[in-house]
Amino acid sequence: MSPQHEVSNQVRRHRRQLDGMTQQELADRVGVTRQTILSIERGRYNPSVGLALRLAETFGVTVEALFEIDRREHHG
Amino acid sequence: MVEQAAGRWAPRVPGMIAGGLVVIGLLLSVFVGWGFLIVVGLGAFGPGILRELGWLRDQDEFQRQAAHRAGYHAYLIGGLATVLIVAGLRWSGTDVEVSSEWIVLIMVVLWLTWLFSALLAYWGAPKTTSRVLMVFGSFWAVFVLAHLVSEPPRLTNPESLLGLLMGIVFVGPWFLLAYTAGRWPRLTGTLLLVVSAVFLALMAPGWAAGSLELSTMLVTAALLIVPLAASGIALLREGTRELGN
Repeated sequence: MSPQHEVSNQVRRHRRQLDGMTQQELADRVGVTRQTILSIERGRYNPSVGLALRLAETFGVTVEALFEIDRREHHG
Repeated sequence: MVEQAAGRWAPRVPGMIAGGLVVIGLLLSVFVGWGFLIVVGLGAFGPGILRELGWLRDQDEFQRQAAHRAGYHAYLIGGLATVLIVAGLRWSGTDVEVSSEWIVLIMVVLWLTWLFSALLAYWGAPKTTSRVLMVFGSFWAVFVLAHLVSEPPRLTNPESLLGLLMGIVFVGPWFLLAYTAGRWPRLTGTLLLVVSAVFLALMAPGWAAGSLELSTMLVTAALLIVPLAASGIALLREGTRELGN
């Protein structure tokens, strides 16, 4: 039994705050596909440190403001 | 940076070239000579090799992660299938000088596992299943059209007309299920498992009667039944997870 740290993020919220930027526009800015942005927003994919930094830079926030760890212990 | 298609998804150039090589290689193999399977291999494995060498940079980190994880799944399932086949053949006393069909079976298992796992990770269950069902529907439609061209239905023969009608009627459900996969995943998943069971029940007598080689039956099952059953299970899991959230 080991604690698994789930990461939640505020990517969708920050994207919408940027004049309703679309997923495709954000994807183009950070150099990934739209599906990758969609998967990050839905919590299906945790980006690399590099991509997390590019996302934070695009929104003008820190990485910590964009991503946070949910410390929950998952049994089994 | 990844090459971006503007707006909605569009097939990328490397994917189109690879797909083209696979199709051309298959056609040349069947109609000219089996040596042209090399062309299929180039299309199927070439892009991945180029990516690993760093000469082709057409995927982003999520796509690469999905492909790498799928490779591990393919190793596990393909390895298990290989061990089972060799153990089964040796156990039954069959000469292990195996036919190429067994090798094809292992390749099919490896490749389908890799493809399905990569698509599931990248697209998620509903979208992957929807695409799989569209491919099934399209193949079904092509077979119906090919049959129509090779044996035009005789309007005076009720059996011929019924055959044509059955062919056309069975194209629709694939596209209907492709549509419902995203909206009602649990219902669609259950239906897909039922369809898989029906196909298995239809194939089993042929195998039991000895009219089909075991390797041929397993290749057919891997291509026809396993993708449907796997899609059904993935949708049921997705539906259950949605209910849990």
